[in-house]
Amino acid sequence: MSEKCSATKRGEYWATVRANKQIGERFYRLGLEFSGAGAEAFARVQAGQFAELDLSSAALPSAETIPQELVDAAGRKILLRRPFSFADVDTRDDRTLVDILYCVVGPATLRMTTLAAGGSVSVIGPLGNGFRVPDGKKTALLAAGGMGAGPLQHLAKILTADFPQIDAVAFAGAKTAEELPFERRLDKIAQQLEFSLPEFARYGVRSLVATDDGSAGFAGPVTDCFSEWLGKSDLAGESMVIYSCGPEQMLARVAEIAKTRNIDCQVSMERRMACGIGICQSCAVECRVADSAETVYKLCCEDGPVFDSKEVVF
Amino acid sequence: MTVSRFWFMEETVDIPVDFAGIRLANPVFTASGTSGYADELSDFMDVNALGGLVTKSITVKPRKGNATPRIVETDSGMLNAIGWANIGLDAFVEEKLPALDKLSCAVFVNIAGETIDEYVAVAERLATAEAIAGFELNISCPNVELGGISFGTDPSQVAAVTSAVKRAVGEKILMVKLPPAVTDISVIAQVAVDAGADALSLVNTFTAMVVDIETRKPVLANKTGGLSGPAIKPIAVYLVNKVYNEVAKGFGIPILGMGGIRTASDAIEFIIAGASAVAVGTANFIEPGCAVKIIEGVKEYCVRKNIANIKDLVGSLNQDLTD
Ligand SMILES: Cc1cc2nc3c(=O)[nH]c(=O)nc-3n(C[C@H](O)[C@H](O)[C@H](O)COP(=O)(O)OP(=O)(O)OC[C@H]3O[C@@H](n4cnc5c(N)ncnc54)[C@H](O)[C@@H]3O)c2cc1C
Ligand SMILES: Cc1cc2nc3c(=O)[nH]c(=O)nc-3n(C[C@H](O)[C@H](O)[C@H](O)COP(=O)(O)O)c2cc1C
Ligand code: FES
Repeated sequence: MSEKCSATKRGEYWATVRANKQIGERFYRLGLEFSGAGAEAFARVQAGQFAELDLSSAALPSAETIPQELVDAAGRKILLRRPFSFADVDTRDDRTLVDILYCVVGPATLRMTTLAAGGSVSVIGPLGNGFRVPDGKKTALLAAGGMGAGPLQHLAKILTADFPQIDAVAFAGAKTAEELPFERRLDKIAQQLEFSLPEFARYGVRSLVATDDGSAGFAGPVTDCFSEWLGKSDLAGESMVIYSCGPEQMLARVAEIAKTRNIDCQVSMERRMACGIGICQSCAVECRVADSAETVYKLCCEDGPVFDSKEVVF
Repeated sequence: MTVSRFWFMEETVDIPVDFAGIRLANPVFTASGTSGYADELSDFMDVNALGGLVTKSITVKPRKGNATPRIVETDSGMLNAIGWANIGLDAFVEEKLPALDKLSCAVFVNIAGETIDEYVAVAERLATAEAIAGFELNISCPNVELGGISFGTDPSQVAAVTSAVKRAVGEKILMVKLPPAVTDISVIAQVAVDAGADALSLVNTFTAMVVDIETRKPVLANKTGGLSGPAIKPIAVYLVNKVYNEVAKGFGIPILGMGGIRTASDAIEFIIAGASAVAVGTANFIEPGCAVKIIEGVKEYCVRKNIANIKDLVGSLNQDLTD
């Protein structure tokens, strides 16, 4: 992973569904497989890049399994593609395997749950710019809120493989233990248990869990857990880099912490996207202009989704 | 592009069209605001395979655009309130025009402004640019406070802006993009034609709103947005047919028809209703290469229906209600 986005050719590719496993009440892990040109395009995806999936022809799940609050929305016809980032990317022979961690929140993600092994889905990607690794860093702190855990798992893998000199620590938060998007039940995990999440442990990355209600790990927002950890550490600000992905409020808080401690920080932003390829201008992120009081709108899909936290006006 | 084949192996045809004095390889465009400045789509399709392309609206000064959310999906459609976010005239000339010059399809620049002078300034500056075949005058954008639709709904303003820009564009084609939600679109179309429009394009998006029932607020930061996509197609086909019959046909003015086109069948509906050419908008977001598929589909239809010249299809709506 270099400072600048490597120019993998984006395009529209068909992926075969390998698996679509429910890992929590609302969480799933979708496994896709690309061959041919798609395999080539997705083989070198950076953590934090994303793809646009066409879910318009996926079927609805059976009526009785649709959560009450989504019943009205469920009947809506899907028109636009939906953006998702990657939790894992792997190459096997001449194929590329891609995992997406997703949460059911509306009509498209509801339909996404019915994608079945052997089926296919149209994917536009890889899109946007991922996380970058600045020179001279010794410690990477990965702060994930909810579904933000996906791309940070992918980042953990890349850091371990390509940047062995960097020690990484992950922080994963959610409202409750139920809402942590990880495969293993976490209710009883103590906050001291630093290798608690197998999704990070498999890359040798320590992880700390926080839940707002204290049902797993640290009791309170993940940003408090994160800030407390930093308070106890004696690492120099310049030797660290923070990567964060999650709800915007959380990213704003992480950006604040980074600023106070003078740590480089990259945040992955989300916006409603119509195209994902830089055409429609729908995904504007307000950004500061260096040495000026002015702001500009950058495009989440093209200039992001990963931004330097100092740049973003939260 | 398809080349003429020997008669005995002719499974495909050429479908060139004459459009306000220029010859297009085929009648399929990509619509303003949905194909950027061409380079964005080039990863997905051969832009030169298009008949033409209309750029995002250009204003004299760069515009940041509206706050977010700028879009929301609806049943079979979407609302957008982008607010003419664009790089401005200077950057357009410097950064985008050189690449457009290399295209072989017809390039139309969509012009927008808050005052007549602003429209004229863009037209004057680009009037001699070789890369450009013509202009599309956006007097129908629902997403800005000043300019846009406030010009397009007032016949005297339509006349004023059209004639002023017509003087500025010199030899280039001036196409006027009509606002769809007016009492009588033909009145506006007639005024535009009288003021010098060489072509008409319709429809722009319909002003619309989506409400979040939890917060009781409009979902879009701009409160309202323009509805596009399959949801508007039947209304757009009707309006094209109305303008064709009541204005365009009599004056020999071509129509660029659009609104919800995703397939060749959609495009053919518009042509039968009276459009000389069609533009693909929202569908570019979902299937960025679909314009090329549409071109192929229109060709297949012409072969199947024995249509030698696509002109014969334009406005060929069968009014005979007996079987
Ligand atoms: C770059 C990027 C990467 C993403 N990666 C993932 C991922 O890895 N896993 C995952 O589960 N989700 C991810 N998302 C979010 C995902 O795209 C949305 O959850 C999905 O589009 C919802 O579609 P839907 O039809 O199910 O629900 P919708 O009805 O479209 O949305 C449900 C609710 O979420 C809100 N919403 C939808 N999209 C957004 C958005 N982009 N920003 C803020 N609010 C929104 C809507 O207002 C609505 O209230 C990502 C988004 C972006 C922009
Ligand atoms: C996101 C978006 C941006 C648009 N921007 C412009 C624009 O800058 N100028 C313009 O004249 N029309 C603009 N339009 C309108 C389209 O050119 C077209 O008239 C309309 O969307 C109907 O076609 P469709 O249903 O195929 O999208 C925009 C439409 C969308 C969806
Ligand atoms: S989503 Fe269309 S420009 Fe970013």
